[in-house]
Amino acid sequence: MQRRTLLQLGVVGATLVSLAGAGLALTRSGLRDGSLTAAGREVFAAVARAVLDGALPTATAAAAVQDHLLRVDATIASFPPAMQAELGQLITLLASSPGRLLLTGLQPDWPDASTPQVQAMLQGLRVSTLPLRLQTFHALRDITNAAYFADADTWSVMGYPGPRAV
Amino acid sequence: MSAIPDPIRAGVARGWKVQGGPHGAPPEAITCDVAIVGSGAGAGITAELLNAAGLSVVIVEEGPLRSSSDFKQLESEAYPTLYQESASRRTADKAIAILQGRWVGGSTTVNWTSSFRTPSSTLQYWREHFDLAGMSDGAMAPWFQQAEQRLSIGPWLALPNENNQLLRAGAARLGIPAAAIMRNVRGCHNLGSCGMGCPTNAKQSMLVTTLPAALDRGARLLVQTRVQRLRIAGRRAQGLECVPVALNGAQVAGTGTSITARHVVVAGGAINSPALLLRSQAPDPHGLLGTRTFLHPVVLSAATFNQRVEGWAGAPQTLYTDHFLEVDPIDGPIGYKLEAPPVHPIIFSLTVTGFGAEQAAALMQFPHTHALLALLRDGFHPLSVGGKVGLRGDGSAELDYPLNDFVMEGARRALLSMAEIQFAADAKTVTPSHELASPYSSWAQARAGIAALPMKPLLTRVFSAHVMGGCGMAGRPEQGVVRPDGTHWQLQGLSVHDGSLFPTSVGANPQLSIYGLAARLAAGLAKSLTGQDVRLA
Repeated sequence: MQRRTLLQLGVVGATLVSLAGAGLALTRSGLRDGSLTAAGREVFAAVARAVLDGALPTATAAAAVQDHLLRVDATIASFPPAMQAELGQLITLLASSPGRLLLTGLQPDWPDASTPQVQAMLQGLRVSTLPLRLQTFHALRDITNAAYFADADTWSVMGYPGPRAV
Repeated sequence: MSAIPDPIRAGVARGWKVQGGPHGAPPEAITCDVAIVGSGAGAGITAELLNAAGLSVVIVEEGPLRSSSDFKQLESEAYPTLYQESASRRTADKAIAILQGRWVGGSTTVNWTSSFRTPSSTLQYWREHFDLAGMSDGAMAPWFQQAEQRLSIGPWLALPNENNQLLRAGAARLGIPAAAIMRNVRGCHNLGSCGMGCPTNAKQSMLVTTLPAALDRGARLLVQTRVQRLRIAGRRAQGLECVPVALNGAQVAGTGTSITARHVVVAGGAINSPALLLRSQAPDPHGLLGTRTFLHPVVLSAATFNQRVEGWAGAPQTLYTDHFLEVDPIDGPIGYKLEAPPVHPIIFSLTVTGFGAEQAAALMQFPHTHALLALLRDGFHPLSVGGKVGLRGDGSAELDYPLNDFVMEGARRALLSMAEIQFAADAKTVTPSHELASPYSSWAQARAGIAALPMKPLLTRVFSAHVMGGCGMAGRPEQGVVRPDGTHWQLQGLSVHDGSLFPTSVGANPQLSIYGLAARLAAGLAKSLTGQDVRLA
């Protein structure tokens, strides 16, 4: 996350920055060496259940989310270092309780949050007037969709037959 | 194994000088006549022409070498490898997603083949506002002709796919003409997978035309190699300092390569070219470097129809209308060009809005979805100054492009125009790319709904596939970074030959504008370095 963007949040942003600087990143990092940590996986698993609600296979949703998390990792690994660093700060903030509460307003921790609770949180981000919250919505949703629909097994839900043979 | 011959693998097998990445480390020092940064539209044309003049050429590309055998028509393979920043490049405030190629051939290998000469009105604006007297239709025509001939640019004679046909049908009912787009293809299989690399080598990108011609004549190509900075001594560019990079752009262990050259041509594409000059601390006495970077900001409109549209199938963008570029003067309210883009699962999932049930409902309509896009013609009005390229802490490039009210009001008009056309073509619903919009079921509803949308960045989903400017050319040094012949105003031995030259946006898909201009500038450079006249084969 850009420092300049964070500063647009004023006091809340400054608090987040100081929390991050005070060692949150060390205690519960969301991304390490380009891979999601256990805490980062919890964020993206909860987001996947909410964003992909209605697109996940009903009988095997849990397994599909686990497969999806591997693709999220691969997606993030393909990002250049500056983007990984920026995204790492965001995921670390989201993975910490104070960061999650301040940035998203989501009360329960990620593994405990119901899909409707995460969806209500996402809707709040989506229509926020704060750039950082809008940016967070875009990042979470777009990474989730790009990773999920990268796999040919997910295409049937949208009726895409796959590429034509050459 | 595909039955399609792969001219690139064949070339490597017969001894092309390709190094970097899996092709073996390049030497620590290379001396050549001309070093070219990048391998896209401007670089490819320049390489062929300078090589034809007998000059020794080294081409340095940050991305990998891939070719038809690798192209599986899969977004999951194409986007991480073939696009800048894994197809996730965004402007500084994240409000505009930018698709830009990053591999051998640059964006020409992943573009959608749309070929337009620079519009007359654009050239006139450049002559009048940037002292570019030589940029006339007549003076540019021979260069466009050369590029068109070399790259098989011509009319597309097959029937348009349904996605394009609906643009024509809807526009016709409103009395708006739609015309055919010229394409740079030979023996196109009509697959619709241009954006993932052409698996049949039909698209006449730099990858299969100019670069093989130069490599066959002994040019050297370094891949997965980033130019960190220009070597500048006094008022002269003397070469390049390069480092090896991984597929994601991270610098990897290994000895760098220092290239000494009589002349350097920067053609890494807008954003990257000005960033290289910034990293190199090139003189910029008028504070112009990186400024006036334009994007043709794009907004999208998705409609559902009773019939299947299958926007993924068949040649993309074969019809267009410039009606909305011509409503107002070029320096009036921002105008826009309408085209019908290809859609595949990942792109589609990123352009629909929302999440959960709302998103799932839109995704399930994929086979019946019609997509239109509007390219906003930025850079012609005092309120449309574009963006500014800067450097992040690690030296990588970042574009700050604030979407102001002037541009966003154009986006609103574009969403209205597209919805009206789609309903005229009998759409069931129309949904603009805006987070507060829901599917409209009639033109009256859409007109009222879109009129009330807050046209704010991030709430409105905005995209770009055309990056232009940042090293603008002009007839006077206080107006541009380079001269009308592409040479740098302050540094000798340095030229820019890519989309970063344009003083405004083009107002049309830019590839042919880059080919024609690069051909002209490269022929001039060849003449000045060797005294020879050269032309594209």
